[in-house]
Amino acid sequence: MIFRQPPFAMATYIVRRLLWMIVLLLVISFLTFLIFSKLPSADPVSLRAGRNATPELRASIRHTFGLDKPFFEQYRIYLAKLVPFDTHKGFKPPDFGYSYQNNVNVKAQILDRLPATAGLALGGVVVWLLIGIPVGIISAIRRGKLSDRIAMGGALVAISAPVYWLGLVMQYLFSSDIGKVHIFKGSGSYPNTGSLFTDPFHVAPTLFLPWLVLATAFAAIYARFLRGNLLEVMAEDYIRTARAKGLRERTVIFRHGVRSAITPIVTILGLDLGILLGGAILTESVFNIPGIGRLAFDSIQKSDLPTVQGTVIMGAFFIIALNLIVDIVYAFLDPRVRY
Amino acid sequence: MALLEVEDLKVHFHTDDGIVKAVDGVSYRVDRGQALGIVGESGSGKSVSSLSVMGLTRFFKSARISGSVKFDGKELLTASDEEMRRIRGNEIAMIFQDPLSSLHPFYRIGKQLVEAIQSHRDVSRAQALDRAVEMLGLVGIPEPRRRVDSYPHEFSGGMRQRVMIAMALANDPKLLIADEPTTALDVTVQAQILDLIQRLQSELDTAIVMITHDLGVVAEVTDDIAVMYAGEIVEHASKDTIFASPEHPYTWGLLRSIPRLDLPRGEELVPIPGRPPSLITLPGGCSFHPRCPYVREAHRKKHPELDSVSADSEHVVRCLLASDTRRRLWRELQDGKAPAEARDVVGIDAEEVAP
Amino acid sequence: MMRTPKRVAMLAALLALALFVAACGSDNNDEGGSVKSSAGQKIPQGKQGGEVTVLSAGDVDYMDPGQMYYTFGYMIGYSVNRALYSFKPDNAEKPVPDIAASDPEISADKKTITVKLKSGIKFSPPVNRAVTSKDIKYAMERVFSANVPNPYATGYFGTIQGAPKTPAKGIPSIPGIQTPDDQTLVLKLTEAKAATIAAALVMPLTMPVPEEYAKTFDAKNPSTYDTHVVFTGPYMVKNDASGNLTGWKRAKSIELIRNPSWDKSTDYRPAYLDKIHVDEGNADATVASRRILNGSALMQGDGAPPAPVLKQAATRFKNQLVLVPAGGTRYVAMNTKLKPFDNLNVRKAVFAIFDRNAMRLTRGGPIVGDIAWRYVPPGIPGFDEAGGLNPPSDLDFAQNPAGDPAVAKKYMLAAKDDGVPVTADGKYAGKEKLLMIATNADPGKKSAQVAANQFEKLGFKLNFREVTQDALYTKFCGVPKANVNICPNVGFFKDFVDPESFINPTFNGENILPANNTNWPQLDVDSLNKAIDAAAILAPGDERNKAFAKIDNDITALAPAVPWLWDKTPLIESKDVQGVADNYSTVWHLSFTSLK
Repeated sequence: MIFRQPPFAMATYIVRRLLWMIVLLLVISFLTFLIFSKLPSADPVSLRAGRNATPELRASIRHTFGLDKPFFEQYRIYLAKLVPFDTHKGFKPPDFGYSYQNNVNVKAQILDRLPATAGLALGGVVVWLLIGIPVGIISAIRRGKLSDRIAMGGALVAISAPVYWLGLVMQYLFSSDIGKVHIFKGSGSYPNTGSLFTDPFHVAPTLFLPWLVLATAFAAIYARFLRGNLLEVMAEDYIRTARAKGLRERTVIFRHGVRSAITPIVTILGLDLGILLGGAILTESVFNIPGIGRLAFDSIQKSDLPTVQGTVIMGAFFIIALNLIVDIVYAFLDPRVRY
Repeated sequence: MALLEVEDLKVHFHTDDGIVKAVDGVSYRVDRGQALGIVGESGSGKSVSSLSVMGLTRFFKSARISGSVKFDGKELLTASDEEMRRIRGNEIAMIFQDPLSSLHPFYRIGKQLVEAIQSHRDVSRAQALDRAVEMLGLVGIPEPRRRVDSYPHEFSGGMRQRVMIAMALANDPKLLIADEPTTALDVTVQAQILDLIQRLQSELDTAIVMITHDLGVVAEVTDDIAVMYAGEIVEHASKDTIFASPEHPYTWGLLRSIPRLDLPRGEELVPIPGRPPSLITLPGGCSFHPRCPYVREAHRKKHPELDSVSADSEHVVRCLLASDTRRRLWRELQDGKAPAEARDVVGIDAEEVAP
Repeated sequence: MMRTPKRVAMLAALLALALFVAACGSDNNDEGGSVKSSAGQKIPQGKQGGEVTVLSAGDVDYMDPGQMYYTFGYMIGYSVNRALYSFKPDNAEKPVPDIAASDPEISADKKTITVKLKSGIKFSPPVNRAVTSKDIKYAMERVFSANVPNPYATGYFGTIQGAPKTPAKGIPSIPGIQTPDDQTLVLKLTEAKAATIAAALVMPLTMPVPEEYAKTFDAKNPSTYDTHVVFTGPYMVKNDASGNLTGWKRAKSIELIRNPSWDKSTDYRPAYLDKIHVDEGNADATVASRRILNGSALMQGDGAPPAPVLKQAATRFKNQLVLVPAGGTRYVAMNTKLKPFDNLNVRKAVFAIFDRNAMRLTRGGPIVGDIAWRYVPPGIPGFDEAGGLNPPSDLDFAQNPAGDPAVAKKYMLAAKDDGVPVTADGKYAGKEKLLMIATNADPGKKSAQVAANQFEKLGFKLNFREVTQDALYTKFCGVPKANVNICPNVGFFKDFVDPESFINPTFNGENILPANNTNWPQLDVDSLNKAIDAAAILAPGDERNKAFAKIDNDITALAPAVPWLWDKTPLIESKDVQGVADNYSTVWHLSFTSLK
């Protein structure tokens, strides 16, 4: 493969973006810390101390949590643990602290839940691409015809349906235990050990319905988006050239048309995947999948700051990382892009 | 038998705003190895008529095409889609105005050339690539074997157009249609491309239809010139005749708006006043009459036919003025008179209509 | 949030419709009447063996008996641990000896308690040795440490000699807890409070903890014993050779297996099931309830079935539903320290107008419990003495559960004479907006909205704010400085079976705390405070019960809060499960449950 530009250009670009990532994560960690320290929904000390706690007990708990220190001191301590570098020990693994709620190591808990979210997100991505892309292409080709109108009308419904509602309705219709027709496994079937990556044959069936529910809205969005893109692309000059060259219409549509129309999809796909990896809260809740989204939701309800911070930073990390990956991939897809 | 015979070609687009009569009864022929220039402003129908020859207007759902287009004796307008596909890029090839947007930005040019070759020839990829390299060399691209791996945006404008030409000629077409091939290029490069086209035409014996709004472009390459206005041909003659003794006021206008080396510096260019008409609601009578300095009352009502000029049966003109009158007017204009002056000198009055 | 008249009308119309439907669908208490109640139940025999899955939304808060606090934690905790005394499912008022061999002996001066322990009770693997009195002593000492924060420690056991007043660094040694021999535990007190302490020996903090094993975990702050607990109950959480609780996957699941160290002959529990699997994270209560009712070998954990499913259960799945007196009272508290609720007549008027039937309907109607007349709920000693399920005969404003506008008007006009701004037809004339803090989650949210309507009937204008349940307690209603006028979503559920816990922290003026306050009305009447203090030191028995019963009625006469519900907790199970309800903790009792 010939490099289109000096070989260092891509490398310096990546390094620059990685540095930016670090800056962004720092800013985000600070903002989250600020928000949850200054505007807590509940007092974690009171939650932990329970009813009838004496002031001394509460003070003791406050001290254990380090909440009696001044704000910036708290943040400094937090940051020192988070940053994977120490002046004495050199590189060290980042420490996200311990949950106020049950004293669990936050990082361990997040990593424990990551496979569930990843399995849900990645599978969902595959399903919605498999549905959305063909629908988008067919709609564009048969623009104005009945199949196009039905597809786009259906897409509108799919986008409008709230995920939680859809999840419940699907379960009441198709779940193997409480549904009218027993096809798919429903809520609670996701196993407590193992994930899609370690035990695919066992875990995948429990994810069919969640993937379908998650994918519905996205498939619709992508179908509409691709349809619009493809219609625009088919009006471009190089399509006219392709036809003038005497290529088969199918080749013109796919090799020339779809190939161009699909590159912006890569960008939004990366973003959507990044957001989902931070936790698909609604789908995880309605199907009882122990992922990061549910963890974030539970910890926000309980004002468990360290866990909330951890999930926010993890979510931010995924979004930024995927953003970067997508931009790099884009350079390979579109040779005009240069860094 | 002519290579290409177009007879009474009409292309109307049925849109929500009305019927757009883009091409309204156009006829011409091109012989083997010959070059025809089609000249006109945008909206004259020059591109659409050529797209119809290629069968590319079939892809517009609102198009209604009638008339006859015979290529090598075969009627193209009624040919099947598959038959047309086999002819496109193979026997008839077309190049377009903007080579950057006309080449797919994501594929290397070698691949695009190979694709063009392999869709009409049963050859291996390596063989097709060899042919591609050969064509690139033919059009004057240096180091073709290396440049075949480049992307379109890595070429300059002139090089890109050469690539388009190479791609068009890769399958030895009998006819090449060039739609404004130099409009997007700067002047020096223009000359190179026109030279190239001319050279290839003589080397490969390819017939050429050159579409342009610029008379200067066709001055070199063509044998015949047809001038189009509002979807019709208004004048058609040999190149020399068009430049020496044109007989349509529109052609005069075009000629007078070209910068010329033989006129003194500082001499103003004279554009044709007004704008081309809407193809949905044509002016009625002679389509040019709203902009014609020599218009008479009758011209607003009667639609002129394409008549041959007496001395030269190859020279046809669509105008209601008498041939005599037109020649006198042309002489006055050549002397440097403004159209209004020329009209007064010749003394055109309201009643005179060509017999 | 201000309610516009239109919204009130709409809500009222909806309520009327709901009442109409409810009335048509059933006749008042018929629904509740035909469903099993666990009060006074007999314990059935069961088949050995089998496995049951419990569905819950949340996780246990702690496995560590020294820190356990929420009901769901008790459901698991009481099947894997044994305390000194505990309650059999058929009697939630009188505890029986569990690790103790007999009832506690109280000295004449009421300052010493002696408990004899059974022998033959052993810790689960990996500790595997017999439980001694030293293990109880250590369990009680560790909860006074800053590393094992337990709010009950100083609250209930602070009168033990040598008990630290503030959380200690490390594990303190408390001289007042004595172990003359392995089977004897002696508690020496600084005050004559032996009766109360004896009653508190049912608490989880008396569950034994082996010091030599636990001290490494307890040395950390916070203690990590929570993930390394060893067990004395018939079941245990699956663990590995070093004691790590591998069967507990946080917020995901818990595996309970039989405890090999458990000796059936030392225990009253039958422990029929071989295994119990707890499946957590079932956030949607409707889905979970449906799965339980329609499925096999499933039981409810935390999370009661929502009202629509409950209705269905009460009709179609009657045999899979049990109602347990929850031992709690819900009430709408009014801040007696701020205008206008500092005026007794105003409070009586509010009490009178309150449509408590409508309030109950927001939680599901008659099936979810009885209308509450006072503050001490059924199942607590003193309840019958105070009047039982009958309204207080001498209080005209507390008679009618549907509300009595005429009586309300009477009291509002009486308030007018006191100087409170009231219009001629008995509506509040003040322009200020009273702060009402409600919970943001249903059904509490709905209840709060209905409560708001009751106030508005009397012309009060409200600033209605919704917050999370936790914030409600920790930032608003539990903090006097927040100056909240009305707290509609409060209530008190038993800590253990004694009327004092419903009266003292909640209505004694001396117990108004600056934070985590549970005397929400901030009632502070000197004579009442004294009466409560006097009753508190009485020994358990008739005299004590009668004293608190009188106080209960006296407080009701002061109308600091409108009591509206004595909950019955619904418990559901699959049709092949024979569950036994635990009347004490109002959850299924896993050690008595079996498969049919």
